[in-house]
This record gives sequence, structure tokens and C-alpha cells, in this order.
Amino acid sequence: MNFEHFLKDDSAAWMSGDQQHGDIVMSTRIRLARNLDGHRFPRAFSEETAMAIDRQVSGVLLDAEQLAIHFSHFDLTTKSALQKQMLVEKHLISPQLAKKETVGSVLLADDESISIMINEEDHIRIQCLEAGLQLEKALAKANVIDDYIEASIDYAFDEKYGYITCCPTNVGTGLRASVMMHLPALTMTNQMRQLISMMPRLGLVVRGLYGEGTEAIGNYYQISNQVTLGKTEEEIIHDLTVIVEQIVLRETAARKAMLEHASIAVSDKLHRAMGTLQHARILTTEEAAVCLSNVRLGIDLGIINSIPNEVLNKCMLAMQQGFLQQYAGTTLKPNERDVYRATLIRDMILDGINHHNGEKGEDSYDV
Amino acid sequence: MICENCKQRPATVTVTHTRNGEHYAKHYCDVCSEEIGYAKTASEDTQPMSIAQIFSSWFGIPDWSTDTPESTIENQSDIQCANCHMTYQQFLQQGKFNCPHCYETFSQQLPQVFKRMHNGATKHIGKVPSGLQESYQLKKEIENLRQMMKIAIQDENFEEAASLRDKIYHLQAKLQQGGAEDDEL
Repeated sequence: MNFEHFLKDDSAAWMSGDQQHGDIVMSTRIRLARNLDGHRFPRAFSEETAMAIDRQVSGVLLDAEQLAIHFSHFDLTTKSALQKQMLVEKHLISPQLAKKETVGSVLLADDESISIMINEEDHIRIQCLEAGLQLEKALAKANVIDDYIEASIDYAFDEKYGYITCCPTNVGTGLRASVMMHLPALTMTNQMRQLISMMPRLGLVVRGLYGEGTEAIGNYYQISNQVTLGKTEEEIIHDLTVIVEQIVLRETAARKAMLEHASIAVSDKLHRAMGTLQHARILTTEEAAVCLSNVRLGIDLGIINSIPNEVLNKCMLAMQQGFLQQYAGTTLKPNERDVYRATLIRDMILDGINHHNGEKGEDSYDV
Repeated sequence: MICENCKQRPATVTVTHTRNGEHYAKHYCDVCSEEIGYAKTASEDTQPMSIAQIFSSWFGIPDWSTDTPESTIENQSDIQCANCHMTYQQFLQQGKFNCPHCYETFSQQLPQVFKRMHNGATKHIGKVPSGLQESYQLKKEIENLRQMMKIAIQDENFEEAASLRDKIYHLQAKLQQGGAEDDEL
């Protein structure tokens, strides 16, 4: 697959959610950190080592005939900052990998559900994305890749400490299991802060949309395990699942309570969000994300039915700075971005409404 | 109530100042309180990047402090990884290892580090690479037998201890034959 294939704006699997958990659980991510024995970690290695590791790992996976997954290899040092940004926005690589200038490459599966980052913080990071709450499925997939690599490459493994990683917070299983959740009702009712402060006691942590060090925007949160040592992979996933299901229940209850106690106020707020998306001329990322989140809530609650969820997913992806500038075909200053974002979202929403109503799009009078 | 700073958002943080024995209460929203610096602890919690600070405050000496007890410095900076030359002190400051060998170098110090991070755990019980599985099992068995032998010796049950010792020898020989590819670290 050529590189452009992975820069398309088809809505990514991680945004689509699943039936079972309403639209509260958006997606699941599994990440395994692995290192090659006898080599320094990327933070301290030479460029020759970096190249040797890249060749070795991608060599194994590119010829993987028994694996039935086709990978494409991209050297990220040859890609532009914009292209890397777009991969970050699609969750195919981490912001940390995108920032690296001299090393770093990625192997992407054709369907974008698996990406293997090479020479990020660790030599190898296997990442599997699934829509909805599917931790077991994603872990099984990651394990297949892990076993395949391990058959021909010696991992750094210690009997006492397990898989050895650059950061001591990943040691042991090297597993970070994350679930991305859309929690507007818990956020609006100020319950998130309490929830976030409670998590460390359960060995879990709440992060923003793009993982470590990022803020939650648009009421999207990523719940992950913090502890990687002293628990089996299955225990980690089980514990996370239990908590996620609890949070789903609480979000559902909060939504119900909101509707019961303030139905007209909620309806007003969500319709206003729709109005903003349809008519605003300047939209910051934050405002766009909040409005899209509110409209999504409106759809979930049956208050808004003029537009399908897929359009919102597409807007979520398109409104981020990388994709936005790709659409614009040029680099934009921050204030220009906000104007262009508003125009783009306006068009996409209008288009979505027209399609949804089965009408042929009337000429846009909205310019 | 509205934030006294931005006069826009609702106030959620109350800060009490004491001046000349009198108390003043100021009300800020969470955004302003963070900017002004009152919500320091809350914002640090959400930033995993401060890991270096957490490290030094937990396991060593604060990195800004110059007049630290010398004994601590000596004990810790003595250790240096033979492979990548990282010192334990550097590890504390940076919060990351430089190479797999560091784990062996700092093996005395690591349990207390991991305990803090992983809710008291110091031992991996999850997946084992299948290539290592066999030798891993053997080593576990040997460890168990050693424990049993110790108990036998304490109980002055020397016959049993001798037979356990022979079993250990046997397993160790097996480990050396079969564990040729087992060159972890």
C-alpha cells in the first residue's frame, strides 16, 4: 500500500464505537512495548543501531507469509511534519514518534488496525486498535504479532522483571490497554474530576485523546492501566473491563438524570451546539470538539436526528490541524485555521444533513 | 459565583489568604487557578511528564538541592552500568533506563522503585517468550527446590536435603544444555 492510502480521511475504526455500549465506548487500544536484547534503548543508541533494528524488525514482518496480515513499511524521517501529524491524528503513530527527527519508522497493516512503531521510546511498540470495547480481541491480535517477532528476534526479557522497557512504568508485561470513552454527561455534571482522582488507586489512569501528556478534548477520555508489573495480561484487561463497564453505567445514569431533571435545558444546549457547527464562522479546536461531542450526545439521546454519527466522526478527524491543512492544501496560521475549520465543518454538516434527508444537495447558499 | 480573575467562568476554587491575621477568600475558576498557580498539585497529577520529579522526590534527593547528605550521593552514584555508563543518579533524574543491562546494574535498587509504581509489585507474572519458557520453568523449579532444601537443613533433615541438592544439580545440568539460546541479558 502506498503512503497516501494511510492519509485518507475515511473515518477511522477507533471513532465508530459499537452497539453494545451505546456510543459511550468508542474504541480499544492495546500496546505492547518490546526491546531487542543487547542494544541500547532509542534514547541512547546510535543511528547505525537504529537502522539495524529497523531492518531486522521490518524484515521479519514484511516477509511474514504465515501471518496473513500485510504490512507496509514507512521511514518517518523521510515524511513531512504534516504527514506525520496526520498519522498521529488517525492514532496510527504516537506524538512522541512523530517528534523524532533522525530515527523512527512504522509498519502499518492495510486495514490500519495494527501499527508497529519502531524506535519510539522502545525498540518495538505493537499497537492494535479495535472499535468498541474489545480488549481481548485486540490483545489476541497483538500477541500473534508479538509471538511472530519473538520467533526470530531475541527480546530483552528478565525472569524477575519480565519484558524490559526503557521506562520503568512499562516494565513487566509492557502492556498498556486503553479504552477511549465519550463521557459528556459525567463531564457536564462535574463527576470526571472525582473519577480521575480515584483511578490511580485502582491501578488505572485517565488520559486525553492522544495518550500520555495530552488533555481531554471534547469529552473524550482514554482510560488505561497504570500498573504493568505483578499482574498477568489477562488480569490487567479484566480489571480495566470491570471499571469501564462501571463508568458506562454511571454515564448512562448521568444522561438519564440530565434528561429527567433538565430536559429542555439539555435539549437547548445540544441544539445550540448543532447551530454553532452549522453557522459559526470561527471555530477553535476546543469549541468544535465540544460542539461535536454535544451533537453526538444529542444523537445518542434521540434529541437530534437530522444527521448520522458518521458525519461527526469525519468532522472530528478533519478538524484537527494536520488534516485541516491537508484539505486547505497549504499551511495555515492559527487564526486562519479557525476560520477554515468553521467553513469545512459547516460544509460537511450541511452535506450530511442533505444526504441524510435523501435530498439532492441544493446549492449551498451559505457562503 | 464568577471567577474574580477572568470574570467569565464560574468559580470553583477558593483560595484563602492570611494577611496581618485577617483572612481573605479569593474565588477563581479552574482555568485561572491553574494559571495563577493555585492548582499545582492537581495539574501535576495530570502530567505524566513530571516523572523525573516524582523519581527524585521518592527515591533520591531533589535535583535542585545542592546540600544533600553526602552518604546518599556516594551510595547511589557509585553504581554505573558497564554497558551504557548510566549512573543510578542519572536514572533517578531522568526516570528512564538507557539499556537493558541497566536492570541488572541497578538490581538492588529497583524493587523499591517498581513497588511505588506498580502498586507494590516487584515481580513479573505475565507472558514469557515461548523461546524462554522451558528454561524459565526449570529455573523456577530450581528455585523451589532450593527453598525446600533450606527448610530441610533448618529441620536438620539432611538426608532429604542431600536428595534435593542432587535434584538441583540435575536440573542445573539440564538447564545448561538446553538453555544455550537462553542468553537473556
